[in-house]
This record gives sequence, structure tokens and C-alpha cells, in this order.
Amino acid sequence: MTDPSDAERYPTLSEAGRQMLQRLREHPHAPMFKNESGNRLTQQDVETVRAFQLEVAEAVVAEQREEAAPWLAEFLVGVYRDVPFYRAMGGAPRRLGDVPTVTRADLSHDVARFVPDSAPVERMINFRTSGTTGHPLLIASHPVVAASYLAFHQRALRRFDVTLRASSGDVGVVLLGYQRKCFTYVSVTPTLNEAGLVKLNLYPADWRNPEDRRKYLEDLRPEVLAGDPISFVELLKLGSTLRPRALLSTSMALLPALRQELEATFACPVVDLYSLNEAGPVAAFDARAGGHVLLQHRMLVEILDAAGKSAPSGERGEVTLTGGFNFCLPLVRYRTGDFASLELRASEPVLIGLEGRAPVRFRTHAGEWLNNIEVTHALHALALRQFRLHQAASGALLFRVAGRARHEAELREALLRLFGAEQALVIEELDNADGKLLQYSSELAP
Amino acid sequence: MDQEGCELSHLMRRITETPPDFLEEPRLGPQGIVVVSAVVSDLCSWHHVDPGVAALDAFATGTPKADRNRLRVSLLLSWVLADGWFRSLDLRTAPLVPLLLQGASELSEHVAVEKLVSDPERREELARFCLARLGFRPLGETRAQAEDRLTSLSAAERARVLRASRDAEARARAVREALARKAAEESADKYTRE
Repeated sequence: MTDPSDAERYPTLSEAGRQMLQRLREHPHAPMFKNESGNRLTQQDVETVRAFQLEVAEAVVAEQREEAAPWLAEFLVGVYRDVPFYRAMGGAPRRLGDVPTVTRADLSHDVARFVPDSAPVERMINFRTSGTTGHPLLIASHPVVAASYLAFHQRALRRFDVTLRASSGDVGVVLLGYQRKCFTYVSVTPTLNEAGLVKLNLYPADWRNPEDRRKYLEDLRPEVLAGDPISFVELLKLGSTLRPRALLSTSMALLPALRQELEATFACPVVDLYSLNEAGPVAAFDARAGGHVLLQHRMLVEILDAAGKSAPSGERGEVTLTGGFNFCLPLVRYRTGDFASLELRASEPVLIGLEGRAPVRFRTHAGEWLNNIEVTHALHALALRQFRLHQAASGALLFRVAGRARHEAELREALLRLFGAEQALVIEELDNADGKLLQYSSELAP
Repeated sequence: MDQEGCELSHLMRRITETPPDFLEEPRLGPQGIVVVSAVVSDLCSWHHVDPGVAALDAFATGTPKADRNRLRVSLLLSWVLADGWFRSLDLRTAPLVPLLLQGASELSEHVAVEKLVSDPERREELARFCLARLGFRPLGETRAQAEDRLTSLSAAERARVLRASRDAEARARAVREALARKAAEESADKYTRE
């Protein structure tokens, strides 16, 4: 297994790009970058991605009905012809509803069966997720697919009147992590004339001096900061004077209090993206629309009940995806494990009440069962940045929250109002460095 | 194949003219349209054959992933066996239900139902298969000729399927190896990470 060269990592690198990489790596306050990666885009790829950005910018995301997706029939025929998993079932059904659904477990079992024969193996890359559902997943992808994410970010940002301007000599984005172990590297973005890209870990052990975190970021002045709520909480602690033009939040629910604090601190929009390794950016939260507005014009989102039947408009169910832009892994009725309802609002399809992973039911002291969304609603008024609720087999609740001391009294009151005054409840401080949060869990089965 | 049957071209034409309803999705749980067990039951009634509850159940159970093509072949066979020539015969003691059940299962393992209709050689195979399983040979052929032709048709298709299966396994191996390479592990730039 040989290491790729810089020529493979940055095929179109110019002198200005090389200088940007050098600046990012050799900055006096730079972190200890642990890894190497790159854009891997050829000049032809760059043109392909730019054309895709234009297509996405101009596209209309239509009502999520099979009849309103003119691309769907051809897509299904192609999938049933080129993808081994589907080819084994015969010809393409005429109705999407007759295609069996697949889950993360199916992909996890052998993702190779879901990769079309037409996908070029020589340039294949992977995205690995440990997941919170017990099914670690290796996603087949391609440099063009990875670079195409930006088209959807730009579409989402335009909702907030942000047009990206970063170009040669600027730092376009810093992707923030806060984990004990994190993949970190520097790169440049050819579609933005080699604006810099940094993926770093705010965890202090990655830095020679913890104060370098603020100094490095302030000197880089990135146009966009991307991260998850955990890393953003750490960013706030740095007390920086950064003025990015936008924050992109992914990976887990961004609670309203944290969003407001981030918006106030950085004086810019904070865009909460619903994005999956399996599908890329699916939707972006916009309070004016009342939920997550769909971003992809060649993706059909269904809301399914447990039996796999389409839920009526406005009814909650599992978010299920067909289509997408990853030509190495076309999805057909992929059950995401995330739950929401879908409504058309001002002619835009919007996911309402999106909650990650399967609903968890909690038992009150009186024996009544509550869905986790009721807990979300009960805590909505509290200014919580992050929390996790677990119910033990005994029925006792463990609530872990960032900033326990500040919230404990109001939290206890809200939870006991919901679960009953006699409910056993422990409230603890949340340790942020534990990685992705599974927000709700229970050892009890209704 | 002791008995002489109808002209092969007659059955092949019937297969070509299969109505869309007989190529619809079999009902399995919440999915599909056509209740295959009901179609088989009607066919058996015409031929005065009692399929039995257990056999009918096999046309109504399964999963779309595993049983879709098998049930679609059963449906196509039902269309062929409802032809006037078959209906003019006394099939009360013929292995009609085994043809619809095990016969469909055998065919479905190596050919998709669409191909049984669209591909001339597969149409011929299906027509000969129906006749042979009920003890007939095409009109104007000797038993040896009919047996040779059916064997050669199905052997060629099975060999093609075997090659395709080997190719698919090699491709899956190549994909797994590609994903395991250091370069793939390094991945590529995204503006956000999930």
C-alpha cells in the first residue's frame, strides 16, 4: 500500500496553491496535522464540478412526488441494469413504491453490491462512519462527488444572502472537530481558485499551545467555519474575534440556544445542514420555512411508516431517499433512520421536526410512554447547547448537559413536569470529547 | 415429451403479446399490485386442477428482494398456460402446479422476466420449457430434436449467467480492494464532514 503523492492529491496545484498549502502547514501557530488528503481533482473534474454548481444554483427542487421527478424512471432503469444488488431482482419496477427499501445495515453488509458497474474503481475514495446504530459504514465515493458538496452549501447559503467570495490567497473554509482522535489536514479548493481548506481538531492535544487555536484561526480568517455543535461549543470558548461569513453545522442537531449564541458571537448566519455520508447535504434549516428545506433537485424524499408505506403529507415517518449525486452509490429508497414529516411550504418541500435516528420512547413514572420529540418540545424553551437523555432499565433518567450548573434547576423542573414528580433523575455535566452524540437512548422497550 | 404439441411459433407469439398486467409487480406485503395466488387459482380452475392451500400460499409469500422475479415468472407462465391451445387439453393429471412453482423458480434463477419476453432465444426457451414440463414437444419435431434444442438453449443461458456471476464477483472484489487502498482511505476534500 503506497502513499499517494502530492501530484495525486492536488493534480492542478499552481504556485499560488502551493504557497497556500505551505502557509497553512507552516504557520507559527498551526496545529500538528496528523494526516494528508487533497482535492484529487483533474482540470476536467474542476470543469465538471463548476458546471454542476451552476446546475444546482438554477435548479428547482420540486414537490416530492414520483410524477414530479422526470429523472426518476431513467434512474431506476439504470440502477436495475448497473447495480448488482438491484440487477439480481430483475428489471426495474415502474413504480418507485414497488422497490424494496434498504437500510444502513444493507449497505454495511457489503457496500460493493451497491456500487454501479459504471463507477470507476481506480479513482474511488471512501468515507467511513462509525455510526450510532451499530452498523459501521464504508461509503464508496469519488473526488468529483466530494467536491460537489460545495454546490449544495452555496445553494443553502444563498437563502441567507451569503455568496462565497473566497479565492486565491484566501482561506475558504476551516472544518472544525473536537475529538480525542480526528483526521486533520490542509488542502486547496480548485473551484474557488485554490482558496485554502483546513480540517483541524480543537482538542488541545493537537496543538503545541492551546492559545494557538485562536491565533491560527484569527490569522487565517476563513470565510466559512464548518463543524458540529460540539466543536462550535469549543470554538465559543476560545473567545476569538473571528468574523466568518457563515457557519455550517452538520452531524447532529443544532439546538436553538447554541445557534443564537453562535449567530450573536460571530455576527453571521449559522446554517444547520441535514447531511449524510450516504447522500451528502440533503436539506438546510431555515426558520422562515419552519424546517429543513430540501436542497437536491435529483433526489426524491419519501416519508415512510414502519411497514414501508408512504405517510400522508404532514405525518411523521422515516426519511427515505432516492437518487442523489454520488454516482458511486446511487440510493433507491434508502431508509436513513432519521424521522420527520414533509410538507410543501411556499412551494418548497420542507422536512418538519427532523430528528436523528429512530424515535426513542421513554416511560414516565406513571407508566405512560412518551416519544423523544415530546422531550425535545418540553426542553425547547431552555437555552441548552447540547444534551443527552438516557433511561436505564430501572426507569431512572440520566440527563447529561453542557453547562449543567446553569441549567440544572430549570431542567429538573421541566423534566419532572413531563415524567412526574417522583421520577428518578440525575443531571450530569456532558463531556464533549466523546464524539458524535446519540441524543436519546433507553434500555426500556415499550 | 411423448406427445406432439402446438407450433412453437404460436406460443412464442403469445409470449410477445403478454399484456402489461401480467408483467406487473407481484403483491408482497405492502408492495406490488398483482395477487399471484389469485391468478394461479383462476388458471387452475380453468384446468380443473386443485392446487391446494399450501401451494397457493407459496405464490403469496416471500420478500421483494428474494421472490419478486420468481413470482413474476409464475405470472408470465400463467399467461402462457391460459392460451387456447393449453385450455383445449385435459391437464387434470399434468404437473401444472409444479410447473408454476418449481419451474418458475428454476427459470427465475437465471433470467429476469423481462428478458423472457423481449429476447427471442429466451422466448423460445420459455415456450419449449412449458411444453416439455407438461409432456409435449413442439409440432413437427422429434423428441430428440426437442430435447437437444431446449438443452442447448438453457445451457447457453446458464453459461452466460455463470460468466456474469463470475464477472460480478470479480468486480465486487475490485471495488472492495479499491475502497481499502490508502488513497481511498485518505478520501478527498468536502466543505463539510458528516
